[in-house]
Amino acid sequence: MTVDQVSSVADRPRSTANARPARSDTRTGPSMTTRRHRAFYMFTSPWIIGFALLTIAPMAYALWLSFTTYDGISPNWHYVGLGNYRELLHDAQTWDSLGRAGLFAVISVPLSIIAGLALAVLINRPIKARGLFRTLLYLPAVVPPVGAGIAFKILFDQNTGAANGVLTFFGFDAIGWLADPYARYVLIMTVLWSAGNIMIISLAGLQDVPRELHEAARIDGASAWRTFRSITVPLLSPVLLFQTVTGVIASVQTIMPMLLAANPTTGGLTTIPQSNYTYMIHVFSEYFALGRYGYASALLWVLFVLILVATGLIFKFTSGVVFYNVDPEAKK
Amino acid sequence: MTVTSLNPKSPVRVRIRVNRLVLYTVLVAVTGLFVGPFGWLILAGLKTPSELAAAPVHWLPADFQWHNFTDAYKLIDFLGYARNSLIIALIYATLVTLSSAWVGFGFARLSAPGKKTLFGVLIGSMMLPQMITLLPTYLIFAKVGMVDTYWPWVLWGLSSAPYLVFLFRQFFAGLPRELEEAAIVDGCGYGRIFWRIFLPQSWPVLSASFVIAFTWTWGDYIAPQLLLSTDKSTLAVAVMTTYVSSAGTPVTNLQAAASVMYVVPILLIFLIAQRGFVAGMSTSGLK
Repeated sequence: MTVDQVSSVADRPRSTANARPARSDTRTGPSMTTRRHRAFYMFTSPWIIGFALLTIAPMAYALWLSFTTYDGISPNWHYVGLGNYRELLHDAQTWDSLGRAGLFAVISVPLSIIAGLALAVLINRPIKARGLFRTLLYLPAVVPPVGAGIAFKILFDQNTGAANGVLTFFGFDAIGWLADPYARYVLIMTVLWSAGNIMIISLAGLQDVPRELHEAARIDGASAWRTFRSITVPLLSPVLLFQTVTGVIASVQTIMPMLLAANPTTGGLTTIPQSNYTYMIHVFSEYFALGRYGYASALLWVLFVLILVATGLIFKFTSGVVFYNVDPEAKK
Repeated sequence: MTVTSLNPKSPVRVRIRVNRLVLYTVLVAVTGLFVGPFGWLILAGLKTPSELAAAPVHWLPADFQWHNFTDAYKLIDFLGYARNSLIIALIYATLVTLSSAWVGFGFARLSAPGKKTLFGVLIGSMMLPQMITLLPTYLIFAKVGMVDTYWPWVLWGLSSAPYLVFLFRQFFAGLPRELEEAAIVDGCGYGRIFWRIFLPQSWPVLSASFVIAFTWTWGDYIAPQLLLSTDKSTLAVAVMTTYVSSAGTPVTNLQAAASVMYVVPILLIFLIAQRGFVAGMSTSGLK
């Protein structure tokens, strides 16, 4: 649903208000319309003020810092213009970590959407104890990141984890899951573990697909796969688009699984395996391990712009594919 | 259905039965994979340190070390951290639920020039990566002396959350217009209309919003880690960082037990509030 399609009760013509025009005129003080306008801003002001102070202001502050050498300690920091941006372009870490973050998004987002959709289709079949299965599959998505991280760290421990226990039981060699190069697979598995989120959202979409469509397809002799591809997926496409956009944004911000797999007690940024050293981790290292607030702010702003561009591109390239079946206004 | 399929030995019957068998096998296996990591965490919390350190894997503890849970609770000030988590989560969840309902009412029932633009910004801001704004916000909070206080959560709570605003807006927009009309004719202000008429109608959304905000805060690690010193910090930070022996090695079995105690309240809240939770999630996904 786009912003333009969103309208509320307040936007619709006020037939009843027109029936009583005299009312507001006889009043002393501001007219009805003025009162409504004032009330609107009175109600939305917490968000407007909060957004200005806690989002716009920090972003503007970061933008200003990105032109300086500020480090929080040294008193003689100064303005360097685009110096930080020039430096980050020539910093191999920037490009490497950006590439890893991009790869992580490109692999983990489609995989978790496919997994969530597959689970939804599976659970949407006529099965016994559906509620129980649905709850158990969804529960991991509710587990807080710290809990999930510690669970995966213990599960994938090289010597004593269940993952290697299973491998060695079948005669394979144990794998150093939490080190290079395998750490990245563990990272993707932690994302897949919470695919229940996407399952629940897709399930709601699946149950909205009209029965007649499936019946018509069956009468026409369409296979299950064909029905899925030509009916279910197009009808779910707005949901899938939403999941793709939020998934990409979430994957760029992912930081907990990397921290946990690195070192549970210190949460040390420096002990993160190279294959999990993503862009966000790079930003954190520059901020907190090195205290280079100016340089790290430049990195943040580059990421911010890249996310805006990526989101825009996703919307642009899917605009012809995503299928909006119902006119949201017609429902009201 | 044809007559032949009623015969229990007919090929159609057999095929359906095989299909069912495959379906349930896949379902049970996948569910096992999803439950597994948490089950392994609980098992790790019931083992002795030597069982957890020894290769090859000890699948089951020889004796269930139930005392690990009380030990985990004694090794650090578990209750103190839990209380900090609870205070922060309650402050934030209460404030953000009320402020989001307030703002949502404005977007649903009122209008003014600039509303469309503001709503666009609101929806767009849902997609703003919070990690990006958090770092400079931290620097500002440090400058104004709000580090190591709970004021950041008060401010975040008061300023409402776009996602929850959207939930409330959807709900309020669906209520009939007659609800406020009589009150307006009687000269009742919008503040009172919201408080007396709309808020009492919105229990399902209020509770869903509260549960969502509570679990966010309880689960958050980065913000308390950045903003609070160790003794004021939350359970999430404590569970992750404080389970170390005096020799400096991690005490994994106690950490596992502590993680279970940290996660279970959230799972219980979810199971109790399941319906509202799921409804809120699917609304946000579809609209």
